[in-house]
Amino acid sequence: MVGGMATLLNSPPTFDPAALVRPGLVHRSVYTDAEIFRLEMERIFSRAWIYLAHESEMPAAGDYVRRHLGTQQVILTRDRDGAVHAIPNRCSHRGATLCAFDRGSAPGGHSCPYHGWNFAADGRLRGVPQRSNYEGVLELGDYDLQPVRVAAYRGFLFGTLDAEAVPLVEFLGHMATSIDDLVDRSPSGEVVCSPHVLRHHYRGNWKLSFENLNDTIHPGFAHSASVVSAKAVAAGLEEGEPLAASLGMMLANGKPIQFFQDLDMVTTPRGHSYIGGHMGANYTADTQSAYAQALIAHHGPDKAARVLGTDRHLMLLYPSSTWHARYQTVRIVRPVRHDLTEIIGYTFRLPGAPEETYRNAVEYCTGANSAASPVIADDLEVYERIMDGNGFDAREWVPLSRGLREDRETVAGFTRSPATSEAFIRNQFAAWADYMGSDA
Amino acid sequence: MSDAGLRETVRALIEDEARLLDDQDFEAWLALFTADCRYWVPVSREQATPGDGVAHFNDDKQLMAARAHRLLNPRAFGAEPSPRTAHVVSGVRIDAVDDDGTVHASSSQIILEYRRRDRFEEDSRVFGGRVRHVLRATGGGLRIAVKRVDLVNAEGSMNALAAPF
Repeated sequence: MVGGMATLLNSPPTFDPAALVRPGLVHRSVYTDAEIFRLEMERIFSRAWIYLAHESEMPAAGDYVRRHLGTQQVILTRDRDGAVHAIPNRCSHRGATLCAFDRGSAPGGHSCPYHGWNFAADGRLRGVPQRSNYEGVLELGDYDLQPVRVAAYRGFLFGTLDAEAVPLVEFLGHMATSIDDLVDRSPSGEVVCSPHVLRHHYRGNWKLSFENLNDTIHPGFAHSASVVSAKAVAAGLEEGEPLAASLGMMLANGKPIQFFQDLDMVTTPRGHSYIGGHMGANYTADTQSAYAQALIAHHGPDKAARVLGTDRHLMLLYPSSTWHARYQTVRIVRPVRHDLTEIIGYTFRLPGAPEETYRNAVEYCTGANSAASPVIADDLEVYERIMDGNGFDAREWVPLSRGLREDRETVAGFTRSPATSEAFIRNQFAAWADYMGSDA
Repeated sequence: MSDAGLRETVRALIEDEARLLDDQDFEAWLALFTADCRYWVPVSREQATPGDGVAHFNDDKQLMAARAHRLLNPRAFGAEPSPRTAHVVSGVRIDAVDDDGTVHASSSQIILEYRRRDRFEEDSRVFGGRVRHVLRATGGGLRIAVKRVDLVNAEGSMNALAAPF
């Protein structure tokens, strides 16, 4: 029976994952099944372009960061010529991870702690101690680490394990304009990633976060308690005492549903989406004028007006990251297990902009990505309840049909729907089925 | 006040503050803070000021009041049942006293937190680290102007945090 066992282990899955997605419906196992998660790592997170890091995180030769492509660890290192390379964080000898820190500097290359094998930024095996023992036995070149394909869009670095993947700009499509939106907000053309990073996690599937962020119906319910609390505090303020920005953000969740119905949601191929309207606080008058002047000096009046007039809420870049250009915040969605996900929040400084712009970014990211944020705590609770509830009962199909007949317009490259629609989730699952449906 | 007397006053204040959190007496807890206070749990010990970057908590008094309101609101399902905590306060020290009487104190604290969610041992969590208080002399005695909590796992990934440390 040994042969039979081997066949079992190597046999292709007997089900077609794409069949788990139907028009307006998805099978609950996409959230709860560990085997489906394993296939997602193979077919989605190994094929799509995954956001990894920003150039400014590795300013000098030898600087590195450790990131993830799905469940695989990669090290991005800047070499002496200024190029950034990504290599698997795995020694080609015994398989130990090379690097234990999220960031650092390794000008002498990455050495394995076990037997001292040493790798260059681009993965070349530079040295093996006691090399004489391998004389005529092992060719160093056979044990180079295979570099991961990396491409940058305006300083943001993406990686893919798929040598056949379409060029990054094609993958981004119309969503590149949301990255432009972030970078163009800098009066110097530079954006600099802050070293201070905010991480939270939940016992739930990675897709739940993607399906929540542009869902404009849930805040009125899931976040109603924080709206109530913010209102209670606002009611108790002294005459003339201003409301704190953090409470303003909580109150924004109490906007009437018609507000969201009137906004546009934009969905594009490969599962991406954004909604219009940032729903947040405006800059103070002083900042607004100083900032506008700086932008005009950099871009000229027409482009500066266009940049300042762009008003988008979160852009979801499926399946790796979520972007808020107005608040210079990028969050990485890191799938750990089918029932464990980490969200990692990065903020960016805009050199040349008033300090208030960075303060706003920090305030937004803290409110939108801290596990202690009352709003996030509610979301995390819901994700975990969804995982609990989808583990039992006979009802197996989850409806995702809200606004199914309300799409407003489809033009080259994108579809507009009301921001109350679940169109963005259906769009994510269309991409999901595309990735998952073929094993080629 | 003698050095020993001041230390005793400060130690009592820090212990009282922790006790009020454990008792979920948030109204009395808020009353210990100045109107312009800051409750801050940074993501790194390297952060000098809240302006340096993101934080787990970076609250002014309004946000603290909203949290307190929420912890007592039965509709706040993300915080219901409210977590129960037990603070252990140890090693209270006065690090500096300014000319105007402002006291900079620090302590080591361990916080045991429990929230019943039917997840067995995961329902209990332990947090801990160095807690720094800036205490300002007011007409009503010393009040907390800044509470900074440097968790030992400040850089770490957190699941939902409902109760202040």
